[in-house]
Amino acid sequence: MTEPASEPVPERDVAMTVNGRARRVRCEDRHLLVEVLREQLRLKGTHAGCLNGDCGACTVELDGQPVKSCLVLAAAAEGAEITTLEGVAQGGELDPVQQAFWDHDGFQCGFCLPGQIFATRWLLARDADPADTAIREALAGNLCRCTGYQSIVESVRAAAAGLRGEMGSGEVGSGVTPG
Amino acid sequence: MIRTALRHHAPTELAEAVALLDSHAERAAVLGGGTMLVPRLTRGELDLDHVIDLRRLGLGTATVTDGRVRVGARATYANLLAAPAFPGTAQLLQRVAGGITGGPQIRCQGTVCGSAAYANPSTEVPAALVALDATMHLHGPGGARTAPAAAFFLDAYKVDLRRGELLTGVTVAARPARLGYCKLKLAEGSWPIATAAAVLPPAGAADHAPGYRGAVVTLGAISTRPIKLDLAPVLDDAGRLPGDADVDEWVAARIGEPWEDELAPGGYRRMVAGAVLRRALHRAHEENR
Ligand SMILES: Cc1cc2nc3c(=O)[nH]c(=O)nc-3n(C[C@H](O)[C@H](O)[C@H](O)COP(=O)(O)OP(=O)(O)OC[C@H]3O[C@@H](n4cnc5c(N)ncnc54)[C@H](O)[C@@H]3O)c2cc1C
Repeated sequence: MTEPASEPVPERDVAMTVNGRARRVRCEDRHLLVEVLREQLRLKGTHAGCLNGDCGACTVELDGQPVKSCLVLAAAAEGAEITTLEGVAQGGELDPVQQAFWDHDGFQCGFCLPGQIFATRWLLARDADPADTAIREALAGNLCRCTGYQSIVESVRAAAAGLRGEMGSGEVGSGVTPG
Repeated sequence: MIRTALRHHAPTELAEAVALLDSHAERAAVLGGGTMLVPRLTRGELDLDHVIDLRRLGLGTATVTDGRVRVGARATYANLLAAPAFPGTAQLLQRVAGGITGGPQIRCQGTVCGSAAYANPSTEVPAALVALDATMHLHGPGGARTAPAAAFFLDAYKVDLRRGELLTGVTVAARPARLGYCKLKLAEGSWPIATAAAVLPPAGAADHAPGYRGAVVTLGAISTRPIKLDLAPVLDDAGRLPGDADVDEWVAARIGEPWEDELAPGGYRRMVAGAVLRRALHRAHEENR
């Protein structure tokens, strides 16, 4: 498993748009997208968790779809549009899903938030009024170490209500369509 | 971090992909959605020099033409779910796609063909493809060929892919039938322990009514390969199943060496197989009333 000393490790320039900004990074072909986002672009909101596809902490949107960035080679993201957790808030304002998580204590340590927020955006873009089973099913690919699942589910319910324009306690802003 | 000096290739022509795969043989692997391949590389379970990424080959669609569903090598579970409802028996593929765990992320990343090519016994795609009598489309240095799904899955993690060959897609013919699917898993987020796909003739089909006569059930995640069972020998003259204990015993006797992994021991899989089969049959009846 050790690299042959004589062989250079293949590397390349990768161009991608990250949070609306064109970026070009020099990386090795073996680098994971999560590594490039964190180490080269210094976007530490994307967390490196299990490196196995189970925990969801490294989730980003790639060409509009939520993906676990520990399962993506950075070289395979050439030309892609990527949104990290840092790119969700617009103009310094939390987006409605983030706001609902804030209002309903949908996190403790925040490590799992990328997965929870992006899975919620995906769900609510397809189902404006999801049943609890649909909420739990959509979030199931994200592990919360603080086991704050109940308040996370409540946050999703509140985000859905807010986006439908039904403001209740812990109101969330409207007008931004997730996904 | 991946420790091998990996080189990423993203060919734009199938012939180029095949040539790369052929020339690097054991040192290369196809990259589909990466949900299995990339973590295996990260964990150091695989020692490769080349990955051949299918992204640019335009094989990312699932289409329905003349009652046949064609799933391209790069079509993800989310692509299947975003397509219009598949007709007849083919809808099994959409049911499987909708139940894949790991969240929307895995459904947006993992591919049907990647799951087929990997042939992990604890997954759903191999048995679903066998249940549907799918045709596997393969392409290698000698050109294109096809293989029936039942012959493609050889053993645990072993499929009929020859040197330089890759899976370009699968086709299933949609038949009118009653369909029931059951997946047993430990929790919302966990992988299957056992699956059963029941395919019954359409309600009222002259030769097959009543009951379960003409029923075929394919069990997945139970053994190293999918197990397809024709229920005819166990049905009574009216086409009904015997009692639960007899069904369980009959099914258990048809499982050679049960599959064993961290999710469940083989004995447990053998024990639950009958119940999972009966639930799939029950659903085929109930959902098609
Ligand atoms: C968190 C999580 C939850 C999951 N839950 C479920 C579940 O509930 N049910 C279930 O059945 N499965 C489940 N899976 C497994 C999932 O279905 C597979 O990981 C996925 O479909 C594999 O597809 P891929 O495109 O990512 O394959 P890759 O990781 O890209 O490839 C897998 C293997 O197949 C080879 N390969 C890929 N495509 C081709 C091709 N076209 N031709 C030749 N070889 C190819 C690769 O070289 C590699 O060896 C889960 C996986 C994860 C990570």
